[in-house]
Amino acid sequence: MKVTVDQETCVGSGQCALAAADVFDQRDEDGIVVLVDPVPPADLAADVSHAAVMCPVQAITVED
Amino acid sequence: MSVAAGPLRLPFERPNVLDLAPLYEILRREAPVTPVTTPVGDPAWLVTRFDEVRALLGDKRLGRSHPEPELASRISTAAVQDGPMGDYETEEADHTRLRRLLTPAFSAKRMRALTEYMQALVDGYLDRLVTEQASAPDGVVDLHAGLALPLPVAVICRLLGVPESDREHFRSLSYRMANYASCGDDAYQAWNEFTEYMRGLVETKRAELCEDVISDLVRAQDEDEEFDYDEMISLCVGLLFAGHETTANRIGLGTLFLLSRREHWEDLTADPAGRVDATVEEIMRLGAPGDLGLLRYAHTDLDIADVTIPRGDAVILSINAANRDQSVYSDAEAFAPDREERSHLGFGHGPHFCIGASLARTELRIVFAALAQRLPSLRLARNMDELEVCTTITGGVTELPVTW
Ligand code: HEM
Ligand code: SF4
Repeated sequence: MKVTVDQETCVGSGQCALAAADVFDQRDEDGIVVLVDPVPPADLAADVSHAAVMCPVQAITVED
Repeated sequence: MSVAAGPLRLPFERPNVLDLAPLYEILRREAPVTPVTTPVGDPAWLVTRFDEVRALLGDKRLGRSHPEPELASRISTAAVQDGPMGDYETEEADHTRLRRLLTPAFSAKRMRALTEYMQALVDGYLDRLVTEQASAPDGVVDLHAGLALPLPVAVICRLLGVPESDREHFRSLSYRMANYASCGDDAYQAWNEFTEYMRGLVETKRAELCEDVISDLVRAQDEDEEFDYDEMISLCVGLLFAGHETTANRIGLGTLFLLSRREHWEDLTADPAGRVDATVEEIMRLGAPGDLGLLRYAHTDLDIADVTIPRGDAVILSINAANRDQSVYSDAEAFAPDREERSHLGFGHGPHFCIGASLARTELRIVFAALAQRLPSLRLARNMDELEVCTTITGGVTELPVTW
């Protein structure tokens, strides 16, 4: 699983960081997404896909 | 049944506080973008299908402001979501600043850091309800007054730095402000009083700014000459209002959904920690208080679903209707936490997506997990149809008599 995020599109809602804290974080100054782990372990697959679905601007892409 | 000739008038009468008017299903199928008359009699477009609602929420050709605000359609006599907001020329820049200012304070990390505090609050409210119930002659207590309302109020007070002792005051102002059944201009009167109250609070706090959102906004307004004082005040009012009313509502509606569909309540009590997240998302999808939608104005002519919406027209995006769209959700009207589709528009979508979503989700998860754990035999003490429903744009019930 490979994850990418688009910081330009992100509106800082933090839904990804709520769903998968080991993979996504937010910058302290403006809440924009930070990718902590671009290649998360397989057991986080469900959380990561929830994060992508919950993102209100589709800023998260997950590839197998 | 078919769609009547001539514009329909909002709001559509609903059978009860949990279900929506059946008319929405017909509109989604036959007229997903349809002309309507607002509760105050002005023309607007109502959008009901998931794809269109979601697309328009992310579309920069619509905004909250109006190029000529005095000509804009008005929605209701409430003082929130009633008409155009903000300055047409600077809307995008103002909104970007607002998000940048607020987003960090409501980040997922900050909300997670508050989990223990929220859990302690909820435990305290439940302890009190248990004591109260034991001594109540009929064994009935009000979950609205004892939990659904005080929790979000306490949490938002702490985050914003508002004294909890003011709660009765801003509660009643919030209610009046959001009331669309009020006489004359009471909602505006309440908005003015709320603004006065907030000015007083801001000036008191200015002497001793601390680590809270209102203090942050005061500092930011001081440092940025583009940031207008009155705008800062109305933002603080908006946060205090949005921060408790909506969440209290969803706690109430969620309880009603679960207790009127016993099998789902039993599923939750069997495994609160494992099931609470999905349950909360389903509450967010179906819990549809109020019957209007999110308000926008077309900033240019735009074509959508075979309709051309002219510049300046009001557009009401029904997230309630979109969240029950059968082309997106299987058995869309059913409360089914186990469904595959986990996304919904309950917190909006796109650039205006709810700033408090992580906060609200965290609160709701703690509440429903705690209720299921501590009061598995919880049930409604009265028939759902007998409960009083608010006439505010945020809707919901004003009481929640329960027993166990
Ligand atoms: C379950 C509770 C909540 C629900 C259902 C809810 C729902 C929504 C929705 C649908 C929007 C989008 C409005 C639009 O696009 O016009 C929104 C925006 C907003 N919400 Fe919430 N909300 C909730 C809780 C909160 C809380 C606790 C706060 C506390 C700060 C909050 C603050 C805001 C703000 C500031 C916006 C405006 C964002 C913007 O325009 O960029 N909300 N909310
Ligand atoms: S969910 Fe999307 S918008 Fe929200 S912080 Fe994550 S990437 Fe950004």
